[in-house]
Amino acid sequence: MLYKNILCLYLLLVAPATYILPRQLSHAADGRKWIVSENSSLCVNGSTNVNKFACDILAYERTDTIKVSQGKSQMILSGGIGINIQSFNCHNSMMTRDLRKTLKEKQFPMLHIAFLTLNKLPELTSQPEPITGMVEIEIAGVRKQFDVKYKISVDDQKVIHLLGSRDVNFSDFNLIPPKKLGGMIQTKDKLSVDFHLKIKSINR
Amino acid sequence: MKKILIAGLIGGCILFILSYGGLFLAIRFFPKLFTEYNNPLFNSDGSRDMLFYLHAFIFSFALSWFWDRFKALFKGRVVLRGLEFGLVYSVIALLPVMWISFSALDITVAMVLSWFIYGLLQAITAGVVFAKVNP
Repeated sequence: MLYKNILCLYLLLVAPATYILPRQLSHAADGRKWIVSENSSLCVNGSTNVNKFACDILAYERTDTIKVSQGKSQMILSGGIGINIQSFNCHNSMMTRDLRKTLKEKQFPMLHIAFLTLNKLPELTSQPEPITGMVEIEIAGVRKQFDVKYKISVDDQKVIHLLGSRDVNFSDFNLIPPKKLGGMIQTKDKLSVDFHLKIKSINR
Repeated sequence: MKKILIAGLIGGCILFILSYGGLFLAIRFFPKLFTEYNNPLFNSDGSRDMLFYLHAFIFSFALSWFWDRFKALFKGRVVLRGLEFGLVYSVIALLPVMWISFSALDITVAMVLSWFIYGLLQAITAGVVFAKVNP
């Protein structure tokens, strides 16, 4: 009899809670929109055998939206950011023009980053929380998916800070790293991309 | 004609080793001098690498012909003849080309000066070789 009562109590109190709570969480995430603000920044670091370069976009010119929804085991993101290749500044006019040429700016003036997933719903606290996700980067008309490690936090103004970093290669996008003087000056294939997105969350 | 070709070939081989060896060492030990070459002005897809490396031979054959025509004007010892020949070539051909290059292209003074000095040293080397091989 005692076992029966305990079982009934469990069925009445515990079981619904375990069923309902994740659904409540998913509802909280479902239909959320993240607005990527104009203050976001992106930096591409690379090197040649004679110098290092850092090409950045310190003020993102657009406002893009990312929709966030709950998937089966991860957060599904849809949307992304579009970056004008002309906005890159390598702090050296010749290097800036060289990068634009290498990225085939005339044919493909925009670089796109589509956010696909996050491995979990972030807690969104002031402490940066490590989180991983998938993105699809399109450069010079070639799309490629990458895992990205992020750190996500929120500040006092409720602005979400998404900091990410990822190494990519010119060759991933069928681009040839520039070489000069018969190959004596050679740009290395690897590029390190760092970005800092400032996001405002809006419930639908 | 045979003398011109032989002197040109020997000069080309020596210039090839000295020029590209020197360039390789300069890039290795003074990399900062070469950062300006990351510039779309310079071919970057490797399609003209062969032409770039043939430059020493083109330069040497052209100067070999010039030497053969005017060698009687350069008097004195081998090194002195080579030095004068290099200076004459640099003033007549290099200086105006560098001048127009700097005025028309988006390149720095340091870059143009380094090209002038590089060309001057190449021409002096070629002059010394020609004074020895085709006196």
